[in-house]
Amino acid sequence: MGKHSMRSLFVLFFKYSNMNLKLALEYKLNRSLIALAIFCREMIGVVVMFLILLRFLHIRGWEIHEMLFLYSFLFLSYSLFVLLFAGIRDFDNMVHSGDFDRLLTRPLGLMYQIISARIDFTATIGHGVVGIVLFMNTAFSVGIEWNWQNSLYYVLALIGGTIIQASLFLLSACFSFWAVKTENLRNLIFFNARRIAGYPLSFYPVFIQKLLIFVIPFSFVNYFPAQYFLRKDGSFWEGYLYLTPVVGALLFYLVFLLWKLGVRSYTSTGNSVY
Amino acid sequence: MALIEVTDLVKEYKLNVRKKGLSGAIRSLLVPEFKLKRAVDSISFTIDKGDTVGFIGPNGAGKSTTVKMLTGILAPTSGSITVGGLSPFKERKKNAMRIGVVFGQKTQLWWDLPVIDTFDLLRHIYRIPAQAYKHNLAMFSEMLGLQDFINVPVRQLSLGQKMRADIAAALLHDPEILFFDEPTIGLDVVAKEKIREFITFVNREKGTTMLFTTHDMDDIERTCNRMIIIDKGTKIYDGTVEDIKRTYGNDRIMVVEFGEKAEPIRIPGVELIDAKDNRMWLRFHKDEIQASLILNRLTQKYSISDFTVQEPEIEGIIRDIYLGGIHLDKSVSGVC
Amino acid sequence: MTRAYLEFAKKSFQNNIVYRSEYVAGVINAIVMIFVNIAIWKAIYEEEGSLEGVQFKILATYIVLSFLLQTLYVMDEYFIEVKVRNGLVSSDLLKPIGFRLYVFSYTVGTLAFRFLLQMLPALILSIFLFHLLFPFSTVMFLYFLVSAILGYLVLYNLNFLIWVSSFWFYWTFSLVTIKDAAVMLLSGALIPFWFMPEGMIDTLQLLPFASIYSTPIQIYLGMVPEDEILTGLIRQAVWVLVLYAVGHVLWKGASRKLVVQGG
Repeated sequence: MGKHSMRSLFVLFFKYSNMNLKLALEYKLNRSLIALAIFCREMIGVVVMFLILLRFLHIRGWEIHEMLFLYSFLFLSYSLFVLLFAGIRDFDNMVHSGDFDRLLTRPLGLMYQIISARIDFTATIGHGVVGIVLFMNTAFSVGIEWNWQNSLYYVLALIGGTIIQASLFLLSACFSFWAVKTENLRNLIFFNARRIAGYPLSFYPVFIQKLLIFVIPFSFVNYFPAQYFLRKDGSFWEGYLYLTPVVGALLFYLVFLLWKLGVRSYTSTGNSVY
Repeated sequence: MALIEVTDLVKEYKLNVRKKGLSGAIRSLLVPEFKLKRAVDSISFTIDKGDTVGFIGPNGAGKSTTVKMLTGILAPTSGSITVGGLSPFKERKKNAMRIGVVFGQKTQLWWDLPVIDTFDLLRHIYRIPAQAYKHNLAMFSEMLGLQDFINVPVRQLSLGQKMRADIAAALLHDPEILFFDEPTIGLDVVAKEKIREFITFVNREKGTTMLFTTHDMDDIERTCNRMIIIDKGTKIYDGTVEDIKRTYGNDRIMVVEFGEKAEPIRIPGVELIDAKDNRMWLRFHKDEIQASLILNRLTQKYSISDFTVQEPEIEGIIRDIYLGGIHLDKSVSGVC
Repeated sequence: MTRAYLEFAKKSFQNNIVYRSEYVAGVINAIVMIFVNIAIWKAIYEEEGSLEGVQFKILATYIVLSFLLQTLYVMDEYFIEVKVRNGLVSSDLLKPIGFRLYVFSYTVGTLAFRFLLQMLPALILSIFLFHLLFPFSTVMFLYFLVSAILGYLVLYNLNFLIWVSSFWFYWTFSLVTIKDAAVMLLSGALIPFWFMPEGMIDTLQLLPFASIYSTPIQIYLGMVPEDEILTGLIRQAVWVLVLYAVGHVLWKGASRKLVVQGG
């Protein structure tokens, strides 16, 4: 029994992953159905977009393949997010059920435990399949040259987008330290922002654009990376196209500070709100 | 030196005041109200290595809050706690290595996986050396009968099996202190007995210090050498179980059944509590008057067909303490 | 007896307003989503060049109404499932109350909350922000109300089928989610039927989903000829009855299952 080293934390992380994999294989039928359900739910947005463009052909110069390419970023990065950070997604539950108390009695960092303890393979597949289907159907027909620079950019943008989404979820999770029910707040910060980001930023009034750039920076998850490849709208600052990883890192850092404040508040006021 | 030292511990909560009824609910929605509640109000005590201590008190008395502060889950509002020289909150991770926690209502086992999988994970979480892990696993398996269900998914286990596995899980890393929050709640008599035996054994063999919070007085009588009673956030008793019995358990109740209808008789030092048909309930203090003397006096006037003398149960005494029927004086609560 | 059900409804109403931030966020959500969807449709219509035309105002009103109805149509999808899983359903069935009426009154309590405290604020804001068109005529408005109530009942009875299936499946997340996806896509909640491909419209009219959003909104907008309104309402009523009948059969099966297996 002793202190953890980097190596032992790494080994432990794989132990946790292994447990999660066993768990995923435990109810195969049910989990496949859930993955299918997630696939159906996420496809609605795609189908709606498709139906609209079937009729209108293009919107402000955007064609169907370009719109769906823009959309594909959301699913691929979300899929990575639930693979790596499902614990952050489920954090509010952890607080309400008292599981968070258990984490506090363990000789490990809290964020480490939250991240390693939970991997949602089901959702990873459900969202991932939508993302891959969209990507395969669009990435080679919108005029992108997949050389190594562009490929590297793409990977970095995906990682940045994943971290931005993790930060936003962590932000909504922070509210569970102070409020009992946070479902609508989370919808406001995350799911609705994500739905808005499904369409090009240039469609929206300036107020919404500013919101999605500076407050809930979802535009860096898909719009600016897509813009890098497609160059559709000229109205935004060129620099935004390269900022996704920076925004991800900065946002995570800020939200992490807030989260730490929340943990302190939790441990000093207790879960008396419940 | 004491293993756990708690001085003037205070914990305050901010509570959301909810008003009753539909209009009250709407009003609370618009204008929330808060009030401060002192859950723990300057409690002090020390616990030595190897002690087995039971915390008891009614719901909301502050015992769970106290345990949460001892385990590093909550930070104290004021006052100090040291556990083996560490502050459980400030040095949470270090402290966590040395303690084990069992929440009676909340398992730490992975619900859909076999028990052994969680054990294996804990081995890595606490970095338990292979030798110690093997040894402990073998010992706990034998004593708690884990081998019967160690490969079964937790969701299929009975309550008793789950609790046994949970206790083993909390002890795998040889903690110096084990905290139990309601360890036997909802268990049947046999399961309770098995767990108490095991706890006593571990305490004796490994010298593990044990702290309980419980409603079950039997738990305390069977496993603890000391108990701390907490009520309304303050400590109202701290001492041995025997002490409280000796001090407050001297009242006896004699139930006498007469051969004929009897009139009440006045005997000094004896109080008539109830009379019904041919029976009488009499209370007396065993140091003031002997039972045989009372019987003697009674048989002088009436014939007696049967009688029993009842000792008070510890549970009854505690109840009396909560209700304020017994006032603890300084000499008793000053045991600490 | 009616009193008991009223109490359930009241209780469910109260449960909904316990959480302050949750409530406020809910209202903001409704407004933001209306706002954003109108912005998207504006972008679409810009190409057509008829932003100022009646066409767009009708569309905007359609979107607003759809989202207002969406805020009303939210139900607790796991109310029965949770009771089935933790076994409380057997004790509920022993009580001298009709279980189905109990569930319904609970749902209506939530509806009352959503109507008074979520939809009304959103409606008032919408009138100012989005220039919501007034109903085509007073008569149409009355028809709309009847139709919206029928739409609610269609959705309720459809949902009930899924809820009762929890007696067999225990977990209904996937069923609920797929059902939701079908409702959102096929009911006209997200795209008005007139934008759907020609070939699909007739099929969509045959399914129960059209009754939930499309029928009431089109009546409000005066897009249904007066002689067809009655047909529309009757179609909705038929769906209520059909779904109720199926639900009744399922429910009987579920209760039998409960008796045989003792929960």
